[in-house]
Amino acid sequence: MSDPFLQKLAEILEVPEVKSSDELKALPQWDSLAVLSVIAMLDATYGVNLRAADFATVQSAGDLWKLVESQKRS
Amino acid sequence: MNFSFRNKRISGLLTVAPANERSFLQEMKNFNAPEARSLKLMEVMGYDKRRVVTEGVCVSDLAVFGLQNLFSRSLLQPDEIDALILISQTPDYLVPPTTSVIQGRLGLKQDILCMDINQACAGFVIGLIQAFMLLEQQSVRKVVLLSGDVLSRKVSPKDRTIYPIVGDALAITVAERDAGESSIEASVKMDGSRANALCIPAGGMRLPCSPQTTVLEDVGDNNLRAKDHLFMDGSAIFNFVQTEVPSLINDLFARAGRDFNSVDYFLCHQPNRFMLQKLADKMKIPYQKMPNNVVERFGNSGGATIPMALTINIADRLKAGRVNACLAGFGAGLTWAAMLLTLGPFSFCELIDYN
Repeated sequence: MSDPFLQKLAEILEVPEVKSSDELKALPQWDSLAVLSVIAMLDATYGVNLRAADFATVQSAGDLWKLVESQKRS
Repeated sequence: MNFSFRNKRISGLLTVAPANERSFLQEMKNFNAPEARSLKLMEVMGYDKRRVVTEGVCVSDLAVFGLQNLFSRSLLQPDEIDALILISQTPDYLVPPTTSVIQGRLGLKQDILCMDINQACAGFVIGLIQAFMLLEQQSVRKVVLLSGDVLSRKVSPKDRTIYPIVGDALAITVAERDAGESSIEASVKMDGSRANALCIPAGGMRLPCSPQTTVLEDVGDNNLRAKDHLFMDGSAIFNFVQTEVPSLINDLFARAGRDFNSVDYFLCHQPNRFMLQKLADKMKIPYQKMPNNVVERFGNSGGATIPMALTINIADRLKAGRVNACLAGFGAGLTWAAMLLTLGPFSFCELIDYN
């Protein structure tokens, strides 16, 4: 997994660190504003356009990265 | 769909906002939302104050008030209006057209074309295209374009995803022929397959209003909404804007043989500060060239936000001289539209309060 990706997630969520195994939805900071900020970050950084509905299957930060990777290839 | 016009211009702009002001922080307290989160939303999205109509006020009330203001100051003569266009999603009635109501209330001449167009946040650009098309007719010398909504009346007070951000307003734009060699380029795209992303399900023929459509339903996150209320899929709309709008504007500039440096201002529909900053980031446009301060003072008032961005930010420049502008609107339909034109000098450009 890309470290800059985890760093960007940590910046958005305003936490010191996000690990690949961290359950995003368990974080109190994970709200609709965070989702929108993550969508914007993924678009700006990786050219990947996700919708909030795409996050339904995402549990951990690692899951989100896998989703980004799969979208990058397609 | 591309459009080109010659020798047309906007000659004046008046925006009408209800005097009645609400505060985002206060309203979020009423939702029992944590204050830290509300402050965060304020900081990121720019939500702060918004203007909404008091009970029972309709689009025609704002229009009649604004037009009478222009008549009383001789900034516009009633008999000069050859066409009256209204861009709105909140008509006074299903039948008749709201423009007919306005014509009747103001006693405008019968030798006129009154036309309602159901468009939303892309509506100002759509309305200008319609106005400029009418001005191709020699018999049409002045078109009055009205754009705006009283959407606060169609959002659920129990839905904090939308209630605290919607504002009401109406813009009055006068368009006429220009003796100069002005050249205007515009581009419009539509995608009805995504129409459900912004929708009021009840109130038309598909689902008429009934006691059932007033029932508040739990739509998640403790938000309640009825079928009579506006629904917006916020993240889908965000995604739509980031994906579609930059390429529309890039293609418009390419077709016109222009680059971004040739434009003084990008005046976009104003959903919130966050979306506009992300749009500016993506297009590498400095924030000062793309104003994003309408929503913090007035809320999101659909087809009136681009005229508001003009009247509250660059009115003096527009009255004194010329401004090279790119306008862009995006919203229900889904519809997205952009226009390249030179604005000014306007004979009037201001915002008035409706009481």
